[in-house]
Amino acid sequence: MRRYDLITPEGTRDYLFDECYAKRETEKKIHSIFKRMGYAELITPGLEFYDVFNLNSRYFPQEELYKLTDNKGRLLVLRPDSTMPIARVVATRLKDAMLPLRLFYNQTVYRFEPSLKGRSDEIVQTGIELLGSSSRMADMEIISAAVSVLSSVGADYSLELGDVGIFRELMHRLNATPAQKEEIRSLIEEKNYPALNDLLDRMGDNKITNALKKLPTLFGGVEVFEKASALFQDARIEMLLDHLKELYLEVCELNQNGRITVDLGLVNKTDYYTGLVMKGYLAGCGEEVLAGGRYDKLLSEFGYDIPAVGMAVNVDAVAGVSAKLEKPQLRIPDVLISAAEGCEAQAIAVAEELRSEGKVVEHALFSDLELVREYARDRKIGKIIFVSEEGMEVDANE
Amino acid sequence: MNKPLRIALTKGRLEKDTVKLLESLGYDCTQLHEKGRKLILYVPDANLEVVLAKAADVITYVEHGVCDMGVVGKDTLMEMNGKLFELVNLGFGKCKFALATKKDYPFYDGFGVKTIASKYPNVTRNFFESKNMDVDIVKIEGSVELAPLLELADGIVDIVETGTTLKENGLEVVEDIAQISARLIVNTVSLKMRQQEIESFVQKVEGKLNDQKNCM
Repeated sequence: MRRYDLITPEGTRDYLFDECYAKRETEKKIHSIFKRMGYAELITPGLEFYDVFNLNSRYFPQEELYKLTDNKGRLLVLRPDSTMPIARVVATRLKDAMLPLRLFYNQTVYRFEPSLKGRSDEIVQTGIELLGSSSRMADMEIISAAVSVLSSVGADYSLELGDVGIFRELMHRLNATPAQKEEIRSLIEEKNYPALNDLLDRMGDNKITNALKKLPTLFGGVEVFEKASALFQDARIEMLLDHLKELYLEVCELNQNGRITVDLGLVNKTDYYTGLVMKGYLAGCGEEVLAGGRYDKLLSEFGYDIPAVGMAVNVDAVAGVSAKLEKPQLRIPDVLISAAEGCEAQAIAVAEELRSEGKVVEHALFSDLELVREYARDRKIGKIIFVSEEGMEVDANE
Repeated sequence: MNKPLRIALTKGRLEKDTVKLLESLGYDCTQLHEKGRKLILYVPDANLEVVLAKAADVITYVEHGVCDMGVVGKDTLMEMNGKLFELVNLGFGKCKFALATKKDYPFYDGFGVKTIASKYPNVTRNFFESKNMDVDIVKIEGSVELAPLLELADGIVDIVETGTTLKENGLEVVEDIAQISARLIVNTVSLKMRQQEIESFVQKVEGKLNDQKNCM
């Protein structure tokens, strides 16, 4: 019995008319930003070997991946991320290409989300990767692209910068087991101050534990840098802070309307990031719409040791915010052409002529002229052209 | 006036404790006392919109960002595991998760796989996973204490407040799993987009909690 022939799987959906239009418009707008910055598009397969995603620097829990096997029994996954396949391409086919490489993509990623939470398992991400440079200009380029994308939406936005290097540096010096370190990281990520304090209190009262306690509270504007350097007083961390502060100040200068902030507690588990990290938010969306950062060690896992920086935008989330701001307007056809029997070729020629002038033209597919008018009224098409043996008759449709 | 901050409260005891806390901060909670059947209420002088919901829904609303903040028990947070910030331990609504069995039951003896009844299957799974123990979990909706008495399960994982219900039914706590109390949770985007408003609210709440602690 066919039980599931009329519905889509949980976590997926059909996009019709306005929704689809909003999504494509969002993509177009963002891609034009990327293209004007010199980025070239690439497409990687939807199916990849599991090994591409089974790396040291980023761990995908098994239960989050859509898995299947190929005809030789090898494990495949529906891509859960685009950056790792791109790293694979760059480390192989583009190994001899001139650096830096500027690549952009627009692809669906698949992840199992917990059921009944209203989340999609299928998300379109569009993003850029700048490979082969560790310069500050490269960081700035990606940040400025993020600002352009966020400001193009027209909603209030906020871009947040951080540097995971600071957290890594502190953890490196902390005397704790890997399990304890993971717990600390997750408590910092959740900004769970009470539990973090309890845990670190048990690990002794020293400079490192005190700094870690404060790390998740260090978010906001420029004042964060003063607080941080007073707190850490460490040459290596000072250097990282200075780098971030310079970026921060420069972006603030560039940015006109949005809010640029810093959060030194950005420490996500699944990240391959090694330095700069960023997240973008839009008013009207309950989760981040943009995420990115520097990943200098990822390519070396594919045998090509070059630095890289990039970011990805959640197209569905951005399109959702845009659609709320301004109802997407599908273009209504300008003209409806109704052909009498035997005049089809003539009608098509008339339509082509009008289309070449930039008009949107539809053919009516009814022989009953009343139905033609009714259809035009329903579709709000203002003009009907009747084509027959006698010639053309233009009718304004009310 | 700015758009109000929206806070979701867990209906029932946590709601009452939160209202008490808001009143001790000097806010006018008239609407919250005379709520009738309304589900969205307003605290004018704090510019707070209060939503009343079941515990699990508080997390869902905050996670999706339709509410900026929420007050919910750690028990529900542990079971649901959402992506949000858990900023303040409010201290009230104290109890604990515990593993309980019939009195003097040799729970850890033998090599058979044990069956556990619980309203909290995820908490149960995580607890036994951390012990590298395979167990069968049975989800029970009502009084979990019945399951070991009817010999459906070897033990239960449940919330224990005073332990009276356990004792009256001939059960006892074998092991504590986690301490529980009410938490103030915040949506990850709201904290960043409305940092000043939320931080000033959190500071007031924390200040009050510290005062109360010092008085005790």
